[in-house]
Amino acid sequence: MEVYRRDTRGRSLLLMLVVTSLVLVTLDSGNNGLVNTLRAQAHNVISPIQSLVDDAFSPLRNVSNGITKYSAVRDENARLRRQIADLHGQQLRSRGVGSAVGQLEKLLDLPTVQGVTGIAARVTGGSPGNFDRTVQINKGSSKGIKVGYPVVTGDGLVGKVTQVSSGQATVTLIDSPTIGVGVRLETSSVDAITQARAGDRQLTLGVLSDTGAKVQKGELLFTSAVRNSAFPPDEPVGKVVSSTKSVGALAPTITISTLVDLSNLDFIKVLRWPDPTATPSGG
Amino acid sequence: MVNRRIRLVLVVISLVVLQTTVFTHLRVFGAVPDLTLVATIAMAYEEGPMAGAVFGFAAGLSTDLFLSTPLGLSALAFALTAYGVGLFQSGLIRESRGIASVLGGVGGIVGNAIFLIVGGIAGHGELVSVHNIQVVIVASLYDALVAVAVFPFVRWAVRDADTGRTRPQR
Repeated sequence: MEVYRRDTRGRSLLLMLVVTSLVLVTLDSGNNGLVNTLRAQAHNVISPIQSLVDDAFSPLRNVSNGITKYSAVRDENARLRRQIADLHGQQLRSRGVGSAVGQLEKLLDLPTVQGVTGIAARVTGGSPGNFDRTVQINKGSSKGIKVGYPVVTGDGLVGKVTQVSSGQATVTLIDSPTIGVGVRLETSSVDAITQARAGDRQLTLGVLSDTGAKVQKGELLFTSAVRNSAFPPDEPVGKVVSSTKSVGALAPTITISTLVDLSNLDFIKVLRWPDPTATPSGG
Repeated sequence: MVNRRIRLVLVVISLVVLQTTVFTHLRVFGAVPDLTLVATIAMAYEEGPMAGAVFGFAAGLSTDLFLSTPLGLSALAFALTAYGVGLFQSGLIRESRGIASVLGGVGGIVGNAIFLIVGGIAGHGELVSVHNIQVVIVASLYDALVAVAVFPFVRWAVRDADTGRTRPQR
């Protein structure tokens, strides 16, 4: 009898834990302010320790990279030199097109990336979990970073800030299935939205504005110039790897690779967008 | 009793710190171990299903604070896994070498599977994918490896200071 009572109490407690968890999951799915505050506080507590560990690991990581990637780095250097020469030529050729786009953006009163200021930060680590594509950066709300700010490197778009505490922030990468970026293809001028799948470093394009357009391999993609967009316009995102249309399909399957190596981030820049007039409160 | 609780809080805090700092740099084939899940399994093994479930809920909630997946998802997965492991071990398992790794690995698969399934049902369909199943398998092997260190840590936390005994009388 006693055993039975104890077991019933145990099951009631387990049921209570399950119900509490489900309530929390539901609350957080609705982007609850209390949950966000709790998360920010937890990050605040752990942030100094995280910085210490990152500093301790940094030399080890550099040595290990130097040993294992020496030959790859040398080849990459040569490839990048060739690429710089090619890009210089391309830049000159596209100057004319760029000026026309700029004039049109002014005519339509669209915001541009030129006026956006940024906050440089260092990536301190990846996600502590197995199922999210995020990185931690070493600057947070004390430096003016807010949730929703886009994150870039010199090569292009990286992602956006999804959590922020005073000393650090979490950036969700553009190859996370939870993020879709509105993009415009360079020459075919098709508008689309990027779609990511878990574990796949390449993205596909969905919601194409023109399903019949001829999309070229190697064509670049930029963020769309749309009012109230989450990302500033004309930021490079990726390039087309393949475009195939299977028989009977309404739209082609366009696969793209990101311009930024998202698995190897070191320094990034957080753009004060869509709040470009915000004054910096730190570095 | 108070000392024991303090030690258990210390276990959770130190494992969460390790998980969010050191192990973010030690990813193997895209996977990291779930230190707090392994500690939860150890707790269920040492103390039975209910103590394991309560500890798992607390440990999971602490871990959830640092993930971008919904808060409460790890708490639920860890609590249910601990309850299952606790029931299983009370009926079947006897002390043996390698039990920490076996339970760590199997518990890792079960805990992560619950996490993905409940997450998928709760509106995060992106969690249910072939890639994530691969990640679960690699992570569970990693869990089996770290269990060798995590189980003694939890055993130290739950031991009775006077008798030195860890397993409760059933």
